[in-house]
Amino acid sequence: MNYTPHFGQITRYLPYFCGGAAVSLLLATLAFSGGMVIGLLGAMAKTSGGKVLRRFAGAYVTFFTNTPALVQVYFIYFVLPSCGIVLDSFDAVLLGLTLNSGAYLTEVQRAGFASVRRNEVEAAETLGMSRRQVVWYLVVPHIVRTLYPPLTGQFILITLGTSMGAVFGVEELTGRAFSVNAETFRSIEIFTVVGAMYVVVTILASLLLTIAGRSLFRARVSVF
Amino acid sequence: MPYLELTDIGASYGSKPVLAGVSLSLERGEIASLIGPSGSGKSTVLRVLVGLLTPSGGSIRLDGKPIDVGNTATIRDLRRRFAIVFQQYNLFQNMSVLRNVMIAPLKVKHRPREECESEARRLLAQVGLGDKLHAYPDQLSGGQQQRVALARALALRPEVLLLDEVTSALDPELVAEVLDAIRLLAAEGMTMLIVSHEMGFVREVSSQVVFMADGRTVESGPPAQLLDNPRTPRARDFVGKILRH
Repeated sequence: MNYTPHFGQITRYLPYFCGGAAVSLLLATLAFSGGMVIGLLGAMAKTSGGKVLRRFAGAYVTFFTNTPALVQVYFIYFVLPSCGIVLDSFDAVLLGLTLNSGAYLTEVQRAGFASVRRNEVEAAETLGMSRRQVVWYLVVPHIVRTLYPPLTGQFILITLGTSMGAVFGVEELTGRAFSVNAETFRSIEIFTVVGAMYVVVTILASLLLTIAGRSLFRARVSVF
Repeated sequence: MPYLELTDIGASYGSKPVLAGVSLSLERGEIASLIGPSGSGKSTVLRVLVGLLTPSGGSIRLDGKPIDVGNTATIRDLRRRFAIVFQQYNLFQNMSVLRNVMIAPLKVKHRPREECESEARRLLAQVGLGDKLHAYPDQLSGGQQQRVALARALALRPEVLLLDEVTSALDPELVAEVLDAIRLLAAEGMTMLIVSHEMGFVREVSSQVVFMADGRTVESGPPAQLLDNPRTPRARDFVGKILRH
């Protein structure tokens, strides 16, 4: 291979890529937050819901964990408009990632419900707490504390998954790499730099999340 | 008229009967102890009283009024009046000591935060843990955790305190500190129903001792009578075994 890389030519795009990384992180954060809420409701439905709710949650999880996220977003972006629901590309990708992560996070959080100490729940009930209070004050902190590593792992997966936004023209990191590539044809340099940026972003994010988890939630996680 | 009156209570876990005729009555300010062999249903009686188990038969009267155990509002009312302390403390592991004690008054009773906090601090000081407010349960010894559980139960200002073998899980040297805290409450006139194997303590604080076997209340009476001169053979046999050494 006698190709001479010219990283110099793409340095001027670095701020543009950084902006893209910010969009990626924004997408991931929103999708993860929404997914956590859906996952909590899904886990509640699966743990203590009636037959109909349990079935519904089960079907949702099965569907979204057994089809590619890309196909899910395609469906939202190209099929929903025929039902009168038109979303712009950012919203479609966000909705797809949220529903997708909600399915995985349902399973993660269900493990939290299953492992919460039965006798703590009984104590809470005898103190007069409602079921919602038990979930909010006992189960959720328990989930965050004991399932912190799989939760941060899920966040990282979503962050990487935002790259599919490029397919729909979302201006996140990969999307911006596509446009710069179309302009400069410096594919090797561009995707080397962008790949490295993903590594930096995910490592920084998991580092920050770990530190936050240890200090805020007493989660048992080691920094490295 | 007794404050609390149980008549012929029956209950089962699934298809396994655990209570088959429990009757007892408790006056306000009285301390009664339930004794009996393991599996005789002593703890189950307490679980019924805080609505963790629905009885299958019999009646509960509180202040002369019958309690409908199938009604959630009634269960809520029972839980407002009765507080229970468990053998395994059952503290909330994700909360500090102070929050364990504050959470129910704050979130269930919706009392002002300052009031809850000062009350919690006072109760924790009373059980000798004024310096552990910000510790977490897993940083405390069993005896300390049990005293936190006691403070947590008291924070709701219950009318009756139910103690379910509160010293059984503790190392022997930690038993005294918990019993001391309970003695203090007894001296204040707290109504209590105690399940305990500490016979010396039972004799000392109770005004009434109830002997249970096979899910039934067999005999009851003042401690001197029941522990020294039981009338029924079952009670005589049990008391003979536990007081021999």
